[in-house]
Amino acid sequence: MKKMLPETELARDERFVRSKIEDRIFDPRGARIAARNTGPAKMATDRPAAAERSRSLMHGIFVGEVQALEGAGRTCFDFDDTEAPFQLKLDMARQCWDESRHCEISIKLGDHMGTEIGEYTESTFLYSAACNPDPVLRLCGVNRALEGLAIDVFSTMKEFGDESGDPVLEFCEDWMLADEVTHVKMGSDWLRRLTEKDPERRERALEFQRTVDSIFNLGGFRGDDEENVVQLARRFRELAGFTEQENDSLSALARESTEQARQMAEMATAMLDAQSS
Amino acid sequence: MARPGADPVGPDRWIAPHGAFEGRNRHYLTERSSSRENAVVTDHTKARAPFAPWDRRELPGLFTVEDSARRVGNYKWAEMRLFEALGGWVATVPELDVKMVLGRHTYHHAWHSELWHKRLPELREMNPDRLTLPANDAFVTFMDAVREPEAPDLTIEKLVGVYRVLIPRFISAYTYHLNGTSRITDAPTIRSLKFALQDEFEDWRDGEMLIQSLLDTPEKIRRAARRQEELEQLVLASGGIAGPGSLGEPAQEESVA
Repeated sequence: MKKMLPETELARDERFVRSKIEDRIFDPRGARIAARNTGPAKMATDRPAAAERSRSLMHGIFVGEVQALEGAGRTCFDFDDTEAPFQLKLDMARQCWDESRHCEISIKLGDHMGTEIGEYTESTFLYSAACNPDPVLRLCGVNRALEGLAIDVFSTMKEFGDESGDPVLEFCEDWMLADEVTHVKMGSDWLRRLTEKDPERRERALEFQRTVDSIFNLGGFRGDDEENVVQLARRFRELAGFTEQENDSLSALARESTEQARQMAEMATAMLDAQSS
Repeated sequence: MARPGADPVGPDRWIAPHGAFEGRNRHYLTERSSSRENAVVTDHTKARAPFAPWDRRELPGLFTVEDSARRVGNYKWAEMRLFEALGGWVATVPELDVKMVLGRHTYHHAWHSELWHKRLPELREMNPDRLTLPANDAFVTFMDAVREPEAPDLTIEKLVGVYRVLIPRFISAYTYHLNGTSRITDAPTIRSLKFALQDEFEDWRDGEMLIQSLLDTPEKIRRAARRQEELEQLVLASGGIAGPGSLGEPAQEESVA
């Protein structure tokens, strides 16, 4: 088996349908849909199509968990004992088990919420963050950026379960949230330990984390405002070891992304209007 | 002259008949225990036998400290190579149920390697990496062959290597160690062996059931059998996880030596 498995080689059964992030962004229907004024984007029970959106998000969580499992597994295998310390690999093996449970939970929650595997497409850019050849950058991208995002997503879904009177959803999301806090701590811990005497490597790792964070803020998906589908879970992020400054910076990045997305949508709508007139 | 509290019966009657522990005519299982009266609950200063009558552990064992450490180092090396492969395979198997089981088992074997890693300094190896070694070159060849399959249509080959060849070898090597080592002096190793064995048995069952569910044509059965035979030949050449003598096998050990 070779080291470093590219995302194009991720093995899937026939139910899975893969989509590219650029196809989503440049989907010509997106501009018209974005131009509709449907109120705040935050996941809430009183929002239009709340049930459908929650099912779609649940499916997104499921494929994210599969890729997180695969990413952690690859970190166990891709590096030899000199590149990645034994204890780091043990942490990644533990994360494999956690992500495996999250896959099981997500499949059962999907059934519970009325969706099924393959009903929505899968983007594999989460796994691509787990392909970085430097284990420190990989852990920063996955355990700090993506597992941090998972804290926000699970917290949002937990609240949604509470609001919508779904104790099963609330219960399961809370358990997954606990694991994610642990995974972020692992990432922060290894970043600190492996870059203790190498500030330049630490900066590169943090820059990679910011890049991954930006990608997942795309279109204002996550942030502090009602405009964001997923809310920044500041309390749980602090538990995981993120500083207030880091959370503020992420929030500012999210506002920037939301504004960029709004401007892009306006431009695209204007272009479509010009074409049709 | 008998000491106060000494057994009036004496050491010539060690084996107690049924009911002999009641009343004044109590009998004892060992000479040592015969020299003490069983304490009355209310008298906390009265001496008790250091070993309970049902405690049959003995001091001698098959392994010296060095023997045990060498085996533990071999176990750690093999468990590490196994958990790395299981983790690496997760992304290469399309079957979702297999993917999730491999994720769970990755942790089990990582945890075993951690148990062995922590045991090594207790066995006087202060640098655990020094003994984290394969038993021999032939065992490296065997493990490389187990870890080799990558393509998504090779799930049978991956699972057969682990669950029909390698894990049964772990079960047998661990069981031999468990049964042969001193139950008193090497008790910490025994405790870890028991934890590891419990996982091995359950993981073997999970894996075997997955394999059975995948073998749905005669050709797939032949594939599984071919793969098993190929790997059995390799592991035989190595002598097993701890090399020749993994299961005792004195004749084989001598012939290899």
